[in-house]
Amino acid sequence: MKKSCIGLLIAALGVIPATGFAQVKLGAKAEAGATIDADAEGADAKAGGDASANGEGDAAAAGEGDLGAEGEGVGDICKIDPAACPVLDMKKEAARPIKESIYAVQQLYVMRARRLEFNPWWNVTSLNDQFVQHTGPGIGLNYYITNVLAIGANFRYYAPFNEDSKFNGQVRRAARVAVPLNEYQWGANLDFSYVFAYGKFAGFGDFIFEYDAYVLGGVGALSTRPIAVIDPDNRNFEYKPKLAFDVGLGLRVFFSRWFAANFALKDFGYNEQLENLGTNEVDPSKKSDWLGKNSFTQNVELQAGFSIFVPFSFDYRLPK
Amino acid sequence: MTSNPRFTKRLLTALTAGLALLGITEHSQAQELYLTGPLAGAPAVRKLRLYRRTRFEIAPAVSFTLLDEYQRTILLGARLQFNITDWLAIGGWGALGSVIRLPTALTDNIQGVNQQRQAQVAPCNTAPTGPGCAGPLLTQRLTAVNLGKKLKDQLGGIDWVAAPQLTLTPFRGKLALFQSIYLDTDVYISPGVAFVGLTERKNCSPCVGEFKTASRMAIAPTIAAGMSFYVNKWSAIGFEYRLLPFAWNRGGFDTAGGGKDNEFPDNKISDADQRFRVNQMMTISYNFYLPTQYKVSE
Repeated sequence: MKKSCIGLLIAALGVIPATGFAQVKLGAKAEAGATIDADAEGADAKAGGDASANGEGDAAAAGEGDLGAEGEGVGDICKIDPAACPVLDMKKEAARPIKESIYAVQQLYVMRARRLEFNPWWNVTSLNDQFVQHTGPGIGLNYYITNVLAIGANFRYYAPFNEDSKFNGQVRRAARVAVPLNEYQWGANLDFSYVFAYGKFAGFGDFIFEYDAYVLGGVGALSTRPIAVIDPDNRNFEYKPKLAFDVGLGLRVFFSRWFAANFALKDFGYNEQLENLGTNEVDPSKKSDWLGKNSFTQNVELQAGFSIFVPFSFDYRLPK
Repeated sequence: MTSNPRFTKRLLTALTAGLALLGITEHSQAQELYLTGPLAGAPAVRKLRLYRRTRFEIAPAVSFTLLDEYQRTILLGARLQFNITDWLAIGGWGALGSVIRLPTALTDNIQGVNQQRQAQVAPCNTAPTGPGCAGPLLTQRLTAVNLGKKLKDQLGGIDWVAAPQLTLTPFRGKLALFQSIYLDTDVYISPGVAFVGLTERKNCSPCVGEFKTASRMAIAPTIAAGMSFYVNKWSAIGFEYRLLPFAWNRGGFDTAGGGKDNEFPDNKISDADQRFRVNQMMTISYNFYLPTQYKVSE
């Protein structure tokens, strides 16, 4: 019975936040007369009453309507303390140049500025390496300085997931030609990303979802090593990090204002050290003879994952 | 009040379900406002530009194959279809792949080694009756079935593709580029059946010195996913990714047909040497729509 009561109490507690959720936010915002909470779209008329009076919503004088030269609208203040009565020359104020930005889309579905994005993903495939597939997990962390520009870092782990294609063995056997192969251990990059496009889709003419597209670029390291195919009996390579540059293009499909599916195509360019195609027949264990020429290599990866933005909610600066 | 454990169990179950419902309620409040507000019952989109409905689409297209081992193919073609509704079209995609083919670095590499190898002459080649003659070099003998004088001449290639297909366009939307360019877009998928004309190394047994090619037609399922970006009332730029899975012998090599599970060479070129591959390609197209004027939804 005691347990039942506790259960009922939990249920009751559950009810409080459900009903108070919109109230607290709306009330707080409406008082400030400045912002409308993104989660309370349907109730924006209530908050809009105050917020729409001042457009920007962040001016100190907001919430009271117009201020005339005679103190219209603030009559009570003027009666109590005439010295504190604000006096504005409306003609002068009207003549002041307004540098208001006009946005073609007044309210974006997702505001990114000053939010963190966690982006775990899986490298689905290497799109240009038919010899060794470099799949594996990765995670990115981006901080949006503005609504479109972010700085971030990402880490990728490949080591157990490199897949040497069966095709390599078939070519070696058929043509007696060995293709130098390489595998990856990990990669890490610092990136800038820029959201260059956003939009929305109507699905089956019935529901709407939002998306954005971004480009990114940065610098970092990629730890790789050759797979011994020329002289596997004697050669055993160790991973070495190399300077790597990346550029990419991504697409986020938003399910909510903080959760999105994230698909990206990234090209990692780096200077790869290949296995020496020749062998030192006198001393095959001589490590300095194991490595051959360098080759600038690009690995184009297709990544699929999701994005979580924190904080989960945000405030719009302008009314809807 | 009871201390019946079954009652307690049921109560807990009910509470759990109740709490779960409360969780849903918290999220669904905004939804209810939509339903009861002035937009209740309204369609998700009004005055939608119906770019596709009852219009013919002619889309010249260039396709680039991906992840090719021996040679890349650039297919020149077009997509022709009639859009019955804004979300359903019937038509086809056709392309010619025999015009532009580019060998990969692997092909150049193999050919380089092959030429060097063929230039090497075993002593017995010049004096076949000489003492210690061992015939052609070992590597020459080992590759005699697989490598002719020019690797490029024995490679498999896609000559043409004809793919009747349906196109489903479930998503329609708009896109803002740099907050200054605004485009209508849609996302579609096109499942269909592809008839693929191929050139491959001809089956042979024995195969030493036999490097002729032959043509055949493969029938395969195909599916494409793409996006259209409408430039104006009657044209759009299209990007498409297509899968075309079928088995073929891309290198003209003997890789299978013998040994355990037929996974070892048998010194013959046969159908067993055709390896299944999910052929992939990216397509760029410029789509024209006729008549040039679109309809607008209510």
